[in-house]
Amino acid sequence: MTIVALLQSVLFSRIDLLGARPDLMFLLVLTWAAVRDVDEGLVWAFIGGLLIDLRSGGPLGATALALIVVGFLAGRSWGQGLGSRVVELLLVALVGGLLYHLIVLFAMAAVGHTVYWSYSLLRIAIPSVLLNTVLTPFVQQPVAWLGRRLRREGLTLG
Amino acid sequence: MKQTPRRSWLPLVLVILGLFLLVLHETGYLAPVESVFSYALDPLQRLLSRAVEGAGGMFQSVREARELRAEVSELRQEVDDLTVENVRLQETKAEVEQLRAMLNFVSEYPISGYVGADVIGREACDVFPCGDVVGVDPNPYLRYITINVGSRQGVELGDPVVSGGAKLVGRVAEVRPRTSKVQLLTDTDSSVAVLLQTSRSTGLIVGQPDGTLRIEYIPQDETVEIEDIVLTSGLGGVMPKGLVVGQVTEVDKKGYELHQAAIVRPAADLRRLEQVLVVTEFEVVPGEDEATPEPSG
Repeated sequence: MTIVALLQSVLFSRIDLLGARPDLMFLLVLTWAAVRDVDEGLVWAFIGGLLIDLRSGGPLGATALALIVVGFLAGRSWGQGLGSRVVELLLVALVGGLLYHLIVLFAMAAVGHTVYWSYSLLRIAIPSVLLNTVLTPFVQQPVAWLGRRLRREGLTLG
Repeated sequence: MKQTPRRSWLPLVLVILGLFLLVLHETGYLAPVESVFSYALDPLQRLLSRAVEGAGGMFQSVREARELRAEVSELRQEVDDLTVENVRLQETKAEVEQLRAMLNFVSEYPISGYVGADVIGREACDVFPCGDVVGVDPNPYLRYITINVGSRQGVELGDPVVSGGAKLVGRVAEVRPRTSKVQLLTDTDSSVAVLLQTSRSTGLIVGQPDGTLRIEYIPQDETVEIEDIVLTSGLGGVMPKGLVVGQVTEVDKKGYELHQAAIVRPAADLRRLEQVLVVTEFEVVPGEDEATPEPSG
């Protein structure tokens, strides 16, 4: 998780595709909670979020809170019956991504940061949510493999 | 997406803990703990940053890229030096004109004397701490960078940070022993007192979410020209006078408002920063050091 947080700061945050940024920590928490269970997802969401916050100039706890919601959403049975597992995952990534950005923005506004809502939502949040939704299945594959391996060895991370 | 929570209290506990940390952070009680974590993570980040840079470099066709890079760097250096020289000359010209105008005022109301503030130019790294940019803010709504110099190199909170050509980059917002976080000019919480080189009108430049800058509080009767150079005014004493901030690209003037505004393109390419210089000492504009406001952000 530490390496992921550092990679986010050193590498992924420099990528800007029309305002969208790949968010590795978000993708890992989402897919881990989906393939393992909600408790593990929550623990990693909290730790991962704090590590991201420690690398940021923003309020400590904002990303952690946002990722907790993502982990909770991904670890539950939302979206079941709407299609295949991939469709479910994409749906959770879409809704979870939007909630994630909204919570981060609310937390920033709550502690007094200047937030330009319309610009932030239209030019940063929505493009990022779409990009990360597209990336979710690609991250899910290696995470599911790792999850199966750990399960075989009887290890839990939560 | 199937399991039910084994510990139903866990989400609630983590949310409360998160909110608690948010409050503690804002009140400043967590600073020592954050320092400890930072102390542990910073060397790792530096290593990773170097590794990422190295890996990126491998993908380039080595020799050709190196030659081109050296040439570009040389040309940039030349442009930077010429920019500084040009800015200095224009500043001197404007100052001369201003002083000429002031002479009439002085003869009418004699004052004991005044000292002019110099433009901080490109300084060698042995004078001011030079830092490599080792990370950018993972929060997409904030514009901070992490540099690999900190309190051990003499960096202090609020120090101005510049890139080549005396172009203002931002201000130190957080200092750790070996690293510092710099709030870029384009962060929406950043504000710096500036003046326009041609008209000498002053204003406050604030960061915009789209990566541009906006000068606010320019009096309506002032003439703001497109492409006018924007410099730090030194007012407030938190910044040296004369650092290049950017260039006016658009004027926002509405007759019914008290002030006009201007959109400014930053002089430094804030998205491709690699090395920066932290200005740890500078001459304060006389008479402004007493009314020093807190640095924003």
